[in-house]
Amino acid sequence: MSCEGLNPMPQARNFRRSPDEVMRLVRMGCSHPTRLSFLRQLLRRMRAEGWRFDRPVWEIDAKGVGHAVYRAIGPVRTYSLVAFAHDLPPEVRSDRVIATAWDATFALFDGSPTLADLDRLAANVPLQEAGRISPRELSLSRANRSVRLFDHVVERLAKGAQPDASMLKETGYLMRTTAVYGSGKFGAADRSAIAQRPELSAPFQAEMLSVWLTRAFTVDLVEHLARAKGGDKAARLSPELKRALGVGNSTGLGMAPFLIHHPVLLNNWMLAREEALARVRAKIRVGSTERAGFMSALAEARENADLWTSAHDIQRAKLADLRDSLASIAAHVAQGWDQSAAHPWDDLWCWGQETLPLEGQEALLAAMLEPHGALIDGLGECMDADEDAHFAINGAMRVGELRAILRTHYDWTLGIDYTERAQCARFWYVSEDKLEPRLGERHEEPGAERELPLDTGRQAAALWQALQDQPEDQPVAHLLMAAPEHRLAVRRAQITARHPFAEIRDNLIAAEMLPIDILRCKLAFFGATRFDPRSDRWVRISLFQDAPYPEDLNGGGHEA
Amino acid sequence: MKHDPRTDTALDLSLSEISALTTRATRGAGRTWGEAEEAAEAACWLARAGLDWAGALLEVLQPPEAGADCALRTGIALADAAALSGPPKAQRTINSPCFLLPFAARMADQTGQRIRVTAAETQIVLAPGACPLMVGPGRMSGPALVALAPDQQDQSPCPDWPQTHRGMVLATEYARLTQLMMAFTVPTSAHSRAGAGAQGDDND
Repeated sequence: MSCEGLNPMPQARNFRRSPDEVMRLVRMGCSHPTRLSFLRQLLRRMRAEGWRFDRPVWEIDAKGVGHAVYRAIGPVRTYSLVAFAHDLPPEVRSDRVIATAWDATFALFDGSPTLADLDRLAANVPLQEAGRISPRELSLSRANRSVRLFDHVVERLAKGAQPDASMLKETGYLMRTTAVYGSGKFGAADRSAIAQRPELSAPFQAEMLSVWLTRAFTVDLVEHLARAKGGDKAARLSPELKRALGVGNSTGLGMAPFLIHHPVLLNNWMLAREEALARVRAKIRVGSTERAGFMSALAEARENADLWTSAHDIQRAKLADLRDSLASIAAHVAQGWDQSAAHPWDDLWCWGQETLPLEGQEALLAAMLEPHGALIDGLGECMDADEDAHFAINGAMRVGELRAILRTHYDWTLGIDYTERAQCARFWYVSEDKLEPRLGERHEEPGAERELPLDTGRQAAALWQALQDQPEDQPVAHLLMAAPEHRLAVRRAQITARHPFAEIRDNLIAAEMLPIDILRCKLAFFGATRFDPRSDRWVRISLFQDAPYPEDLNGGGHEA
Repeated sequence: MKHDPRTDTALDLSLSEISALTTRATRGAGRTWGEAEEAAEAACWLARAGLDWAGALLEVLQPPEAGADCALRTGIALADAAALSGPPKAQRTINSPCFLLPFAARMADQTGQRIRVTAAETQIVLAPGACPLMVGPGRMSGPALVALAPDQQDQSPCPDWPQTHRGMVLATEYARLTQLMMAFTVPTSAHSRAGAGAQGDDND
């Protein structure tokens, strides 16, 4: 990150949290979306730049089968979501990566597709992984209906009535995506080919745009089916109910290794958020507008927490913590918060640190950032990363310096005995059938000899041991000549020395490690809400709930 | 990626696909993870330069012929040492000279100096951050005697990097790399499969 010189608030440095505090899985697994989340950045840009949206193609039949095109027209470029709607028998509906058919499939096209493009996409996009897309496509995705709600909404609208509001709010979406592939997957354009475009430079903007347009498609589809069924008496979804709908997403282990494989990127995400918090804590007064914005964010968080449900024991406990915490924050703000303190936001934050569980602390963070857009939104531009620039190992570094880096940034792992059964209970691997990341039980399942190098803590500890007998002035290049097995750990240590938030500071192969903590952190940066684990490695979430639709932004639109 | 390996057509891969395939194939060939990561970075560099990344990679992953050094290991060692000793002066027989180029480019980046690589009748100039400038027939399969040296006199401009971010691979090469890749995968266990999805069906 190279934005230090542009920092409008250098004094915020004194209010930053340490990586040792922030980069623990137990805290990362309590992450909440903030105004720096990637979907929020997308919406803000489109509103600020006056993007226009249309739907030039809608060729869907009365059974809901066909295709449609949604265009997002920016000041320089146009992007089009090409959607294919299918007639899917219930017995083949599956959210898992092993599925071979879906209710709808999508590609985000770079520009406005011609008929030839649509023909090519029709032959490939419905096949997903079994097909092939081109550099003209920026993402490939699919979605399944939330069957019970989808059918209910169609039935009600067909009769000229609105769907049951509580049922709609409980589920929160008509369809859920089960994979959104970008960054060169299955032939799509590489990230490096589009990263220089201002509108796509922040992380995952193409994927977010695809999902946002998918949301519009899901509503258009239920209204279309209702008209096909009910004719003239069919109703359209009320604006209030429509706005409460997002797009669901089912996701699993496949996205977990991303944060380990991209340490510089992870650092930049975390550092931007931490700098944002520090800037707010460093403020010396609470303006009336900021206070009102904070109260509004708090109220929305409480409403969201009330609607947020989960059947998973861990998440249910967290939800209880969250609801209690939000109530405590509201009470403290009304009665105990000293707004005349030297740094009133810091005063509130420190109270939260002493009083609230982790779930409440991270929710407080999100609410505190919310009214401070002018102060922190620019940090969104620091959240991408030129990872190639940090790839080369500095072979001239001396062992003494490397040892000091490990002592400073890897103290969390140096005391762990990785020969203990529980400390090495898991191993990550790539599955033979779908080439997807999986998590195995080392002491019970075969395959550990083909382990993925996600045991970052164990590698660092092994490097530390290997350095014990080495002279302080020995260059790293010589060390690696003699012990090439430590290459990954050396690279990560050198990266972490310059990017202190690059490393998850926990044992990722421990028996007690919860992959859903990694998923929640990443999904919160996307802007996901209603995090709902279905196992310790599989979750459902919602995106874009309560966000504007394309037609809302066409004429200016709402605050994003 | 699905394709028909019976026909030796050229396939077009994204850099992301090249990186993933190279990492896994290199690991599947028995190399360390550190080498696999380096090989992926090098393969993408070659693809961006329009060079035969897949042919060079497959050559590297073969056991070197007697008397020839592995381009991957040699390249890693030279690049690591560049910041220590400056631009190298080296001459040795390398199993896949083409695969040495990305590492010579990194040496140029680290030392801020141009480096000339001579392999058989082909000469390649690597300027910091620039696309390689190649003079000669361009055939760089090995093993071949390769010389690296600082190139302080030649200031001829290096070409810009192509705008494309893709790489070609023959179907037979793709099939071989995929075969190597599969050697490091693991059959999904029943336990892992059970936890990898929702408990119950998805018709809710």
